[in-house]
Amino acid sequence: MVKYKNPELLVDTEWVASHLADPAVRIVESDEDVLLYDAGHIQGAVKVDWHADLNDPRIRDYVDAWGFAELMSRLGIGNDTTVVFYGDKSNWWACYAYWVFRLFGHENLRVMNGGRKKWIDEKRPLVRDVPHHEPVRYSVRTRHPEIRAFRDDVMAHLGGPDPRQAEVRLPAGRALVDVRSPGEYNGELLHMADYPQEGALRGGHIPGAVSIPWSKAVAEDGTFRPAAEIKALYDGQGITPDKDVIVYCRIGERSSLTWFVLQELMGYPKVRNYDGSWTEWGNVVGLPIDNPALEKARQAESHAKARPTTGAM
Amino acid sequence: MTERHLRGALATTAGMSRQEAIDFLIERAAAPRRHGKPERCDVTLAGGNPGCGDVVTVYLTVDRDADAVAAASFTGEGCTISQAAASVLLEAVQGAPLSEIEGMDAADLMDALGRDVVKSRPRCATLALSTLKGAVKQYRNLRLREEAGQPMCQPRPAEPAPRTSQDSSRDPRRPG
Repeated sequence: MVKYKNPELLVDTEWVASHLADPAVRIVESDEDVLLYDAGHIQGAVKVDWHADLNDPRIRDYVDAWGFAELMSRLGIGNDTTVVFYGDKSNWWACYAYWVFRLFGHENLRVMNGGRKKWIDEKRPLVRDVPHHEPVRYSVRTRHPEIRAFRDDVMAHLGGPDPRQAEVRLPAGRALVDVRSPGEYNGELLHMADYPQEGALRGGHIPGAVSIPWSKAVAEDGTFRPAAEIKALYDGQGITPDKDVIVYCRIGERSSLTWFVLQELMGYPKVRNYDGSWTEWGNVVGLPIDNPALEKARQAESHAKARPTTGAM
Repeated sequence: MTERHLRGALATTAGMSRQEAIDFLIERAAAPRRHGKPERCDVTLAGGNPGCGDVVTVYLTVDRDADAVAAASFTGEGCTISQAAASVLLEAVQGAPLSEIEGMDAADLMDALGRDVVKSRPRCATLALSTLKGAVKQYRNLRLREEAGQPMCQPRPAEPAPRTSQDSSRDPRRPG
């Protein structure tokens, strides 16, 4: 029977309910909808706003070690505190915050399975009181940069191809997972003319990437799918534990959930999140891109031109 | 600078405490004004990225003689700020000259919503405004085509892609 490699990283709502007053535990809510916490949250939970708390306001990167330590201190999280994340959208942003916390080396991390939705569906109480925690001492110790990929890492992962070569194949032993919607992967979505807030100048995907939308790893109730289903999902597309895997999406938040599934739950030894993701790759000059929608349009145009014309001689 | 009509019409959180402003936005998102798809309109325009975020679709009908909004409404899905902002904006633009919408300053909308509350999500707060401005622009282009004797056909409305249940999970806005 296939099991999660690290099942202890998932806690259920009952566990959280019984640890609300545990001084060794800190419940953290992190949502895509930034006002949900203010509308009501699990008693004792603190809020981590990815934009305001984890991001550097000037450069596109996370806060530095001092900023992270200051945040942890303010939230009353010590180096040995067990941090339990939950949030909306099937814990999508909760996993993003989890990944950042792991990047800075915090060891005791959990995710509440099912997230905010499951807590509410089970009619468990929400409160509006914002807890105050006494600041504690926190120091960033052993970081984990190996879980993060930068643009040059991805180019090396591809084998450093010429961006104009017709076909790019990943070297053996490597895998790339695009977790966005099929429309984004195929290059259709960013070419729809009527979306004023597009994020990239080019559509498509990184060559060699397979399309496995993040949402396929979670069930309707927001919980993670059983290990056997997750194994079948990823094995079926060649994303196996023996490979060096990079995952990406648009800004790295959806792919954080996939990173959590593969590395944390399933125990894949080497998974990196490329958080620059498509908003970087699709905007940088001179990077290789596969765009099936564009290719399809070109072929259609080529066939139309090749069709013999009829008319008066 | 946002013109007088719009500035006066915008519901505002000025004078509210932070929590009152948050409650105002939560209420507007839960029960949005000017919400719904009309039977017919001059322009339908969707804005946002349904792949991972908010979507607002604006429906605009124009009073040609006055070059002003005859009716405007929206539908959408997404975070509290984006949907509340759409409600606040669409309430305010009824009867507004198109020129005022074109000249509307996003900063005035942010202030009306409560800058301190929405400052971490400016794209959410201004999604409806950028979409509405796009709809006005599309209307202008359609009128130019008409005046040039070309068919007055709007490009196929860009309805957003269907969202999965995980994308559209909605939370109650009040504590249980």
